[in-house]
Amino acid sequence: MLGQDFEMPAADPNRGPLRVLFIDDEARILRALKALFRDLEVYFTTEPREAPALALKHNVDVVVCDQRMPEMLGVDVLREIREQHPRAMRILLTGYSDLKAVLGSVNEGEVYRFVNKPWINADLRALVLEAGEIARESPAIGDQLSPNEQNTARSQVGVLVIEDDTTVQQRLREILQPHYQVRFASTAERALQVLEQHETGVVISETATNHGADLTLMLKALKQYHPHIATVVITERANAQTVIELINEGQVYRMLIKPVRMGSCRLSVDSALGRYWKLKQQPKAVRRYGVTPSEETVRAQTKLPNSLLSRIRSLPARLFGVGGVRI
Amino acid sequence: MTVVLVILVLILAGAAAALFWRLRQAEAAKSQLAAEHQQAEVELKQLQSSQAQVIHTTKLASLGQMVAGVAHELNTPLGFVKSNVEVVGDLLDDYRKLVKDYDVAVQLCQQPVDLMFSADKESLDKLVKHVEESRRRLFEARRAVEKSPLLNEAKELLADSRDGITQLASLVQNLKGFARVDRDGMDLMDVNEGVESALMIAAHQLRDRIQVVRKLEQQVPRVRGMPSQLNQVFLNLITNAAQAMEDEGTLTVTTRSSESGVEIAFADTGCGIPDDVLPKIFDPFFTTKAPGEGTGLGLSIVHKIVKSHGGSIKVRTTPNRGSEFTVMLPSEAARPTLH
Ligand SMILES: Nc1ncnc2c1ncn2[C@@H]1O[C@H](COP(=O)(O)OP(=O)(O)OP(=O)(O)O)[C@@H](O)[C@H]1O
Ligand SMILES: [Mg+2]
Repeated sequence: MLGQDFEMPAADPNRGPLRVLFIDDEARILRALKALFRDLEVYFTTEPREAPALALKHNVDVVVCDQRMPEMLGVDVLREIREQHPRAMRILLTGYSDLKAVLGSVNEGEVYRFVNKPWINADLRALVLEAGEIARESPAIGDQLSPNEQNTARSQVGVLVIEDDTTVQQRLREILQPHYQVRFASTAERALQVLEQHETGVVISETATNHGADLTLMLKALKQYHPHIATVVITERANAQTVIELINEGQVYRMLIKPVRMGSCRLSVDSALGRYWKLKQQPKAVRRYGVTPSEETVRAQTKLPNSLLSRIRSLPARLFGVGGVRI
Repeated sequence: MTVVLVILVLILAGAAAALFWRLRQAEAAKSQLAAEHQQAEVELKQLQSSQAQVIHTTKLASLGQMVAGVAHELNTPLGFVKSNVEVVGDLLDDYRKLVKDYDVAVQLCQQPVDLMFSADKESLDKLVKHVEESRRRLFEARRAVEKSPLLNEAKELLADSRDGITQLASLVQNLKGFARVDRDGMDLMDVNEGVESALMIAAHQLRDRIQVVRKLEQQVPRVRGMPSQLNQVFLNLITNAAQAMEDEGTLTVTTRSSESGVEIAFADTGCGIPDDVLPKIFDPFFTTKAPGEGTGLGLSIVHKIVKSHGGSIKVRTTPNRGSEFTVMLPSEAARPTLH
């Protein structure tokens, strides 16, 4: 009687130890991680192709994946996992990162963090535990809007371009003006004015102005205090390390290399706006995109003009939007 | 008379003028030529310096590629060795706790012995209970120590670490062999060693995708040369072979002695080289790769180095089947000795 149709009541996925999947072609790395995370429920594979199915089957909270594997790149594994099992937080663990890999990990894998080998045990543990906690309490959201939603979003929410090169400005104007409420700023100062005055969902920015002023600090600070704003970085001077820092501390949403192409630019801005809009409706999801600045960044931020940082901090939070509740 | 003279003078003057004019023209032409020559020289200089620049940046680029591969090779074992060493420490701490529990249980068993001598009937019963209880605890603590996987885990992690360290040591050894930073310059060199270190540097390009078959002649005669340069030759040929095989393939590396010296052959099962391309492959800047992906300098560097070592290079290729690049170097033994 108890036989055929009886099903175990689905276990509460938010109970019990965190479930983590590790993927690496080097078995000895996996054994090391297994020992390091022996108090969690851990799964392993040296076969990247099996990873998405495993992640889904065990409903894992966190995935930690190597980048260079003979059969498949980590970025591609993470992209597939993002599609098939979006609630898992994704971490890329890598021995060496070329620019292509790093760009792929932002644009396709939407990784939470990038960790270099050899890792620091305490840091990696803290990161995985934090990611697992976020996966459990913060819902995954998409970035695809219905045509209706898209219209409302585009009419309510602005796009800010921080760029002081006039030809690039012109190019972006051509691409974006017909579809979005675009505003341009060529200095950090002006950018803040725009952010103060208008609800802005997407910030498109270079990493530095033509005059050499570093913009990454501001982008990191913006993300730190206003994680719901999606940043699209467009740059010419990409260097793998800068990009890694921008991911880890700036949670850049998309990263494009100059010259700007119409197709990829439109796609990126569209989904960035979608992400902002979804977050606005589902503010609990915002932790998935949060950052904690490194000590170095905090130190560097103290050198920013004081007013800039405090103005970023006190930008109005429009998370609950029109007529909504204030936090 | 005078008329004749005047005419003569006039003719002479005319001739002189013509001559003068011609001379001026020639001079103008000469100075123009000189200017052009100078211009050409300047351009040549610029070209040479920009070529040097390109070669320099290529070297940097291939250095960058090399560093990328090597960094990955090094960081992987570093990653697990470093982690394991720390974790073993934690495991031993956990194990120490088990042993401590065991000690406590042992002590508990000893207490009743002290009490027994001064005991009456009632407390004797209590004592029996106590003994039973402490026996159970001792048994459990003992089992926990025996059954504990902690030591085995620690041992496994240490075994992995020992392997990892051996691997790191041989990587460093190979790197040293590759760059020969300790003694650069002409040297007697074992080409088999050179081939091995180049294969190690290229490991990340080969990985599991390409099967490497080694047919290395033991005791192959030594060659006199610059090891770091010859290793560069091997690396460039291996890189090209790896790039010619899009998916999977086999790279066969052969070393053998020949009449005049040593031959080192790299045979791939890649795309091969079409007839119309073959004559150009050693030209500087010739490449069939997409812009930005190849500089077209790999083979011209190979050619230059091999020539400066008094050697030559031979190519055999069949489109869609594969190619074989053979480097021939004079060996120390085959060299006529000077006395
Ligand atoms: N093993 C090979 N199989 C097929 N084609 C080859 C092989 N080796 C070289 N070639 C051809 O010769 C060309 C020139 O090679 P070379 O090494 O000089 O430059 P490259 O490989 O194109 O650029 P780089 O060395 O900077 O990556 C290549 O573009 C390729 O077309
Ligand atoms: Mg080449």
